Amino acid sequence: MSSYGVRVARNQGGIGRGYQTFSVELEDRMTVLDALFAVQRDHDPSFTFRCACRVGMCGTCAVSINGIPRLACRTRASSLGAPEIVVAPLPNLPVLKDVAVSMEPFFEQWKRVTPGFRPKHPESKELAIVPASSQYMRMTGGKRDCITCGACFGACGVKATSGEYLGPAAINRALLRLADPRDEAVAPRMKALDSERAGVWRCHTQFNCTAVCPKGISLTDSIVWLKRAMLRRAPFEKLP
Amino acid sequence: MIRLTGMYAHTLQRVTGLGLLLYLFLHVRTIHKLSEGPQAFDEALAFFRHPLFKLGEIALLAAVILHALNGIRITLLDLGHAHGRQASLFWRLTVGAGAVLFLAGAIPMFLFAILKVR
Repeated sequence: MSSYGVRVARNQGGIGRGYQTFSVELEDRMTVLDALFAVQRDHDPSFTFRCACRVGMCGTCAVSINGIPRLACRTRASSLGAPEIVVAPLPNLPVLKDVAVSMEPFFEQWKRVTPGFRPKHPESKELAIVPASSQYMRMTGGKRDCITCGACFGACGVKATSGEYLGPAAINRALLRLADPRDEAVAPRMKALDSERAGVWRCHTQFNCTAVCPKGISLTDSIVWLKRAMLRRAPFEKLP
Repeated sequence: MIRLTGMYAHTLQRVTGLGLLLYLFLHVRTIHKLSEGPQAFDEALAFFRHPLFKLGEIALLAAVILHALNGIRITLLDLGHAHGRQASLFWRLTVGAGAVLFLAGAIPMFLFAILKVR
């Protein structure tokens, strides 16, 4: 067992109330999420945070841990290498209470890229066969695992200064849909992506999104890929 | 500011860019003095003979090197290369190679400035 000082942000009704430190005992394999539960259970039942699956699948527990957005359930306290764990809400999102944020701005941007599948042939009953060896599957490999946790959104320096920017996750989602050979909604997505104030051109290649993505998605690569495709003036050719 | 390599690179590029912009204004302003005659130009140059400006010249060299090397890194990344090695590119190319180039230029500049003063 090791002793940690867990310094958590307190916030109520959108008003910041500073930080409060609690002493917590954790086993070596325990996570920051366990630390948050310990704070709530042993010190202050009113302390508020989000979580659901506890195994890194749902993305609900994304918070800022020692200044970097991460999933609390996938971050072992011992891996931080410090006796103090500072937990704050994800940046660039409105705080609901303590370290729980509203994901509404994230999903507002998500909706702008027409994230859902729009089939070319909705009446078709045949199964679309997309082989694993196809260009689409190879190109999108490693980009399909987004769990919409919002860590990239919170880490993005451009998002911090531009409320209109789509954000890395939405752009990656648009790329996946645009590259899908079965999908047809190219125009509305391209319109959103090519927007001067909100689209891919706002990205300054900071790589914060890629660095913090808990699923290891190279989001900057998706954005740069789209920029190059748009510059080629063949905005999007469906990949075979 | 989030403490990640890409953010350091981003900030460095902006800070050195602003420094170079400031230098550019000073440079154009000094050259413009030529239009006012040789005496005005000599007076403008005399202003830069202060030892502080020698240090400024060395800082300018650092800014040019860092801005240029990080610019090469950004160009490579924008062309879709080395995305998995962006942090290593920053520390090795921008900072590492930059430090070598800087020392190769700054040491002679510094020695020359001292010898000239003596």
